[in-house]
Amino acid sequence: MARDVVYGIAVSAGISIGKAFFINRTSRRHIPRETIPASRAEQEIDRLTAASDMVRDEFEAARAKVPVELREHGAIIDSHLMICQDPKLMLAAATRIRERLITAEWALEQSVETIAAAFSAIDDPYIRERIQDVRVVADRIMQRLLGGYSSTRALAERMVLMAHDLTPADAIELELDKIMSFATSEGGKTSHTGILARSLQIPAIVGVEGLEESARDGELVIIDALRGRILIDPSEEELATYSDLKYQFENYQKSIIRQCKLPGETVDGFRLEIQANIELAEELQSVLDNGGEGVGLYRTEYAFLNRKQPPTEEDLYREYATLAERLAPAKVTLRTLDVGADKMMNSQEKLDEPNPALGLRGIRYCLKHQDVFRMQLRAILRASVHGNVAVMFPMISGLKEVRQARYQLNLVRQELDEQGIPYNPDMPVGIMIELPSAVMIAETLAQEVDFFSIGTNDLIQYSLGIDRANKHVSYLYQPLHPAIVRSIKYVVDAAHRGGIEVSVCGEVASDPYCIPILMGMQIDGVSIAPQAIPGIKRIIRQVNMEECKQLLRDVLSHATVSKINRKVRQTIFKRFPEELTFFASLLDQDD
Amino acid sequence: MHTVQQTIQEHEDCLFARICVNNELGLHARPAARIAQEAQKFRCELRLEVKGQEVDAKSILDILSLAAARGSEITLKSRGSDARAALEHMMQVFSCALDEDA
Repeated sequence: MARDVVYGIAVSAGISIGKAFFINRTSRRHIPRETIPASRAEQEIDRLTAASDMVRDEFEAARAKVPVELREHGAIIDSHLMICQDPKLMLAAATRIRERLITAEWALEQSVETIAAAFSAIDDPYIRERIQDVRVVADRIMQRLLGGYSSTRALAERMVLMAHDLTPADAIELELDKIMSFATSEGGKTSHTGILARSLQIPAIVGVEGLEESARDGELVIIDALRGRILIDPSEEELATYSDLKYQFENYQKSIIRQCKLPGETVDGFRLEIQANIELAEELQSVLDNGGEGVGLYRTEYAFLNRKQPPTEEDLYREYATLAERLAPAKVTLRTLDVGADKMMNSQEKLDEPNPALGLRGIRYCLKHQDVFRMQLRAILRASVHGNVAVMFPMISGLKEVRQARYQLNLVRQELDEQGIPYNPDMPVGIMIELPSAVMIAETLAQEVDFFSIGTNDLIQYSLGIDRANKHVSYLYQPLHPAIVRSIKYVVDAAHRGGIEVSVCGEVASDPYCIPILMGMQIDGVSIAPQAIPGIKRIIRQVNMEECKQLLRDVLSHATVSKINRKVRQTIFKRFPEELTFFASLLDQDD
Repeated sequence: MHTVQQTIQEHEDCLFARICVNNELGLHARPAARIAQEAQKFRCELRLEVKGQEVDAKSILDILSLAAARGSEITLKSRGSDARAALEHMMQVFSCALDEDA
């Protein structure tokens, strides 16, 4: 048995076995809290100055290397650069050394705590949290003082990189060829660490509870980024098991990647369009590498969030036109601004809605803020001449919203006509089906638009009335609840009767247990995370339509989730044992 | 659109000017970093005052601790050998650093 096992969120799949290497770890226990003779004070101040100069130089070097697409990183490094030269931090620490005759480390620590106390009294939560930046910078200086600074430059072998969090400067400084995998205490699925790991195709786990307390430098660890856990100081037996699993996984990866450019077509010739869900242009390469046939859902929120001023029409136009050009002739479906609930803009936070998931989000926000909406629609229409662009409206609850959104689109078209600005007049217009009300009137909605995209994550949430992020009820998040299966089928049938295409976006579509059921409904396409494409394509390429339809019939004949899950699990497990070992499934967690 | 007067005035041994914070988030990390960076280029003492609270313009931490929101009126003060040049420069920086948000 391993000495310890810690858990986190796997953000880039894989297995890695190697020695742990911590960067920027400051152990509070090791800070020398000692007094010094007066004769040594100037020497201590020199040490402190040298350490902070070293950090300043590192920040300056990192700043010079920030690529354009990570501009936000540059700004953070700028503020870190200023903090490390700040008189409140550095002069204050020097004064403490001189007056109290203490070590540079202790003086630095005290200065940080004084600043922290002052910041904790600030009302503005944004400013209050900047204390984290002070700590990041002070930790770095502390490392240099303690002589424990660990640069990847010095590494002779490839290591498992561990950190509390990777700051933008860290990420830029890393010598990536020395790193076999990542683990951090902080971070979530969409953090830049995750994106970085996925683009490098190395295993990564973030948000690991107890990481820093458990693992030691140089200790052997197994990163299981299939299940999101880390085995610290594993046994011989565990090493053998994981070496096998690693080998199998890598072979499996190689084989699915080799085949990922083949079409998503069943053995009996039924063709499914396999597209990707992305939110950053940086992810485009991974869509192409994984065999995506376009982008079925481009989340346009990113340009609006985490910034002080809204983007301009030119910003958006450039973003969309680049996407369209790089993907052409493949399609890119741009979902209009979908903010609210878990993705709040500054202006929305101020609304302080009691129930934001049921509040002013998605198309509701856009219809209320028509200036923002029209600005985005202008950018989308202008970009439509650069490739194969479609637009899609989120959170549609009824017919009126579709008509109002289309009305705004027409206003923008007229405006562009008057100004002689070109756009594609035939750009397809679709809607997301993610509310039970939209399901029930799918037939009517199909008369109004060119395509449907079923957003299963929200459809499950709103149909079953559960907030998936709420751990007290997340066990109720059941993608194969009979109500969900029937809703999806109802929408697919309604779309086809209305002569329009319907695809499914959401995690259900990338779940190996669920995809054959969706195929049995004869959906036209799926849009999933780029990394899930090769595995899902492989499943699609191995099934035939008859077995998918049979499975769907079986599923529809059961009235309880547990019976459905059992049936699906039995059937799929027999057919795809390998896929199920290497895929995280939504079904895995329950009964 | 700095509505507040932007002329440099003299008071005893220091020069001062008034300026208004115009951007949405006020003096958040990015403008604060920029202001401190520019202020450090001068030898003279440079200070910011908001609602009676006065801090060192060369310290990003001090500037942040003002938590100066949009619409705050700031008095910029300088004292020392290159005081006038510093104040002129800082007024310039202030309007740029606060306007530029991308």
